[in-house]
Amino acid sequence: MNTDFSDLSLMQISDSFFPTGLYTMSNGLETLFSEKRIASIDELYELIQTNIVQQIGPADCVALANAYNFTGSKDVERIIECDKLLFSMKLVKELREATCRSGTQMIKCVSSFVNNDVLSEYYEAVKNSKTPGTHAVVIGVVSNSLGIEKQKAALHFLYGFSVSMVGAALRLGMIEHIQSQKILHQLKPVIAETCNKYISKSLSEMWQFAPEYDVIQIAHEQTFSKMFIT
Amino acid sequence: MKKRIPRIGIGGPVGCGKSMLIERVVPILAKNGYRISIISNDVISKEDADRMRQNLATNQGLLPENLVIGVATGGCPHTAIREDPSINLSVIEEIENEHSDLDLIIIESGGDNITTTFSPALADYFIYIIDVSGGDKYPRKRGLGIETCDLLVINKIDLAPLVDANLDIMERDAKTVRKNKPYVLVNCKTDEGVDIVARHIIEDVLFEQPPKKIIANAK
Repeated sequence: MNTDFSDLSLMQISDSFFPTGLYTMSNGLETLFSEKRIASIDELYELIQTNIVQQIGPADCVALANAYNFTGSKDVERIIECDKLLFSMKLVKELREATCRSGTQMIKCVSSFVNNDVLSEYYEAVKNSKTPGTHAVVIGVVSNSLGIEKQKAALHFLYGFSVSMVGAALRLGMIEHIQSQKILHQLKPVIAETCNKYISKSLSEMWQFAPEYDVIQIAHEQTFSKMFIT
Repeated sequence: MKKRIPRIGIGGPVGCGKSMLIERVVPILAKNGYRISIISNDVISKEDADRMRQNLATNQGLLPENLVIGVATGGCPHTAIREDPSINLSVIEEIENEHSDLDLIIIESGGDNITTTFSPALADYFIYIIDVSGGDKYPRKRGLGIETCDLLVINKIDLAPLVDANLDIMERDAKTVRKNKPYVLVNCKTDEGVDIVARHIIEDVLFEQPPKKIIANAK
């Protein structure tokens, strides 16, 4: 019998049934929509693409890949370094809280069915507030622990982010269900290219730059009526 | 290991009086010395959390303002309390880390339908609330919320004559579908029946334990 369950593990953590709370995030889309600054499908695609290229790819994806490597070398201190660095690059309070809430709940869940020393030690550090537990870094650690390939882990993260935004657009009434799948299909080259570009970068090469987008997300914090956490 | 603070989940349809029930019950619990935090899952705004904070914290001083917390649920109120309660659990863990002296955490669901239930990982005790204005067919129509909750609350009983709802029928059906598990008729506007809800919480959730601050002072 084949005992390599890594692909099934990837399916498990990629499934919307896996509890990470990503469905509560719109990543600023709610503000843009309510202010009527975004309406067309092309603009939605562009927004997600910008976010991937300017923030999620060069920051989260690099942190994920490095955390994955340091899990392999059993270096929890360096995983924590990835975590703190990524946390410090998230300039919006809502985003920082959201990524840590998704991350801490994900590692709590996976720790309940995976035995791995590095995973346990890192989870202890998260529980004791020694490290923030960002979602991307947790995915790096968890994926390595489950035997999922690094590239697949990064693709999972970028795709999951895209689904979260497209799902928010659907629930806001911007698009319908078939359009949402079309956008996800269109994003595949962006996701693949971003993954390849950043998966081998070192921590010192991490960056993110999308100031207007940050301001939009800060505005969301002040919004009275909202469906989404970010 | 930190001790889990008892948690009550309150669910029910939109506008049935979930927030109002909390606003009426918390003063009774606070008068008995219990320290409470409230997490409000609003479907679309922070209005309920803001109102409860203003009323219970700012005006009445029954709890600190930062212990009334609003949580957005991405338009999926039932998911946030059942299939994927991650965000609520994360907020609770933050509360438990910083406020271990609390006696109780109340989690209010966003308005939802009659199949609402709370994940046992999220709530230890489940109060489901309906109101009479939907007609006396509830609770006969059943639904997981009505059938399985620990305490069924039927609110706005003063409106029954105005909507031709027969409270006797509602009581009879509540007994039948819930197999004699408890239910309470209340009018949150006048506090009628609210003391019974508070009594259930003290007896069934807190097991009549004195508030932690009283235990701490006695040591």
